[in-house]
Amino acid sequence: MIQPVELQDFLLTFFAAAAIILGGASYALCYAWARLGRRPGLLRWAYAAYAVLAVSVWILTATAHLDGYWRTLAAAMLVGYFLAPRAIFRLCADTHAAEDDAVPPPSHPPQEPSP
Amino acid sequence: MIRRAAALPGQVAGAFARLDSHHLNGGQQLAVKYFAVAMVLFLAQLLFGLLAAIQFVWPGFLFDLVDFSVNRMVHINAMVVWMLYGFIGSVYWFLEDESGTEIAGLKWGETAFYVLTAAVTVVVLVYLLVQTGPGNDTTRWLINEGREYIEAPRWADIGIVAVMLVFFYNVAGTFAKGRWSGISGVLTLDLVALAGLYMAGMFYATNITVDQYWWWWVIHLWVEATWEVLVGCIMAWSLMKLLGARRRIVQTWLYIEVALMFGSGILGLGHHYFWIGTPDYWLAIGGFFSALEPIPLVAMVVHSIYDSGTHNFRSSNHPALAWIIAHTFGNFLGAGVWGFMHTLPQINLYTHGTQWSASHGHLAFFGAYATINIAFFYLAVQQWRGNVWMGGNLAHGWRWKWAMGLLNFGVLGMTVALLIAGYEQSFIERAVEGSTWSGYFAAQTHPWFVQSMVWRLVFGLMTLAGAVLLTWDLLTIGAGETRAALVIEPESPTGETGTVAAPAA
Repeated sequence: MIQPVELQDFLLTFFAAAAIILGGASYALCYAWARLGRRPGLLRWAYAAYAVLAVSVWILTATAHLDGYWRTLAAAMLVGYFLAPRAIFRLCADTHAAEDDAVPPPSHPPQEPSP
Repeated sequence: MIRRAAALPGQVAGAFARLDSHHLNGGQQLAVKYFAVAMVLFLAQLLFGLLAAIQFVWPGFLFDLVDFSVNRMVHINAMVVWMLYGFIGSVYWFLEDESGTEIAGLKWGETAFYVLTAAVTVVVLVYLLVQTGPGNDTTRWLINEGREYIEAPRWADIGIVAVMLVFFYNVAGTFAKGRWSGISGVLTLDLVALAGLYMAGMFYATNITVDQYWWWWVIHLWVEATWEVLVGCIMAWSLMKLLGARRRIVQTWLYIEVALMFGSGILGLGHHYFWIGTPDYWLAIGGFFSALEPIPLVAMVVHSIYDSGTHNFRSSNHPALAWIIAHTFGNFLGAGVWGFMHTLPQINLYTHGTQWSASHGHLAFFGAYATINIAFFYLAVQQWRGNVWMGGNLAHGWRWKWAMGLLNFGVLGMTVALLIAGYEQSFIERAVEGSTWSGYFAAQTHPWFVQSMVWRLVFGLMTLAGAVLLTWDLLTIGAGETRAALVIEPESPTGETGTVAAPAA
């Protein structure tokens, strides 16, 4: 059975859930832009957005009492939201491969920014 | 009197015939009729929504004349029906282009349109003038079925299924006669699911849990599965028309989105089964698959950025493209973010059935469906005028921009106002007071709730103003325009795009 959210964690839970999706979308957007425009600097923002997502998943896991098998949901979100935008970009690049030579092939990503 | 009544159908058909344009093929003529009724229903939806919003602020308003329950019912039913009218019209619009042949049984399709429109008119009049019945079989067959969102009486249910079968025959028969494509294959299979799922709402079970179980098959599997796929087909065709995107690309993306939508959406149904008495395993299934439901929406955002980047926003119809972009982001925010915020059972325990659901519903329906229909209306009106210019420097271009701004800000404002009200309800009524009657009234009279309802009304007025401006714009845009539309040819494999001006008809 599930354990409800504590009163003091109410607001935090809502915003953590929203931040997961917004963080995931921002990561996907910045990643796609960085790859499309060959702008490695944007990758920093992409990973920053992913960090927001990861922190939000951790907060949601704690506040919503995602224990036991619910932990796999948290893990699935972390892995899924990291890999899905990359897979989607690869699909974009492959489906558009014949029409746009300006897009770098997925096998040659831009250089990662040095920390 | 009798003679006047007998002449009415002819007068109605004559009025619709004035919408015909020699620039359109048979399917497109029928589509315009669907679009016209859709716009009327859209305005009706907003009007009754506004009446319901006023009743939240002044509960005595129209009491015992048109009660809140009736206003809310007409508001939601008008929304469902106008969206269906928009989808059906959009399909009729591109049917001949996509199949390369004339529509099979178009006369049947035209008859079905008049039957459906007459049925919708009668149902709405009964909702408003009769409203309630004794709650027996007569009520169920003639007045109201009593099921939220699909209240249409049983005779109308049967009529809707008959019309859908005619629509299916038009679509499948035309593709069978002409040529099949990826879009047409997905569309035809989706229409089987669309018609079939409606049947799940046409029988009764005496056990309320079983009854609700099947009722959600209609609501959720229409809105979060078959409608999304239908919109995917309409979107795919629109992108080819607007951006010159290549068929291979949009069809590949259609398959991906369909796989993701069905993969997450079908079992995402579980989030409606949390609290209706179904077994515990639905908590896990609903929670897990609901968490996956935003992924196709994120995919759409990435793909739209990719396509916009590769096509440099070059389009033949600026208002339509703007509304398609609004659709991408509206769908993501309304369905994705607002949905996931309260879809896990640990939090849905508190938010279920509060204004939080209404907040999600407003933004999701507008973002995912209203926007794509409006985009298609602009595509249609361009062709209706003779394929005229709808790019930059459009005469009275402020109208579509302001209409878009007012509608989007209005809906977003209502969404945020309802979100605040929903949060307050979840906290005070559910968490603090434990879902008691006193808790319910404490939440309904709390300043946060009362002020939110006032703001919802203000933003509702803004939305209505946007819809009125949109109607005016759709009726007048392109009138007197002599420039020919920019025609964007599909890109060649080498990446060269041929752009030529078509002669204005």
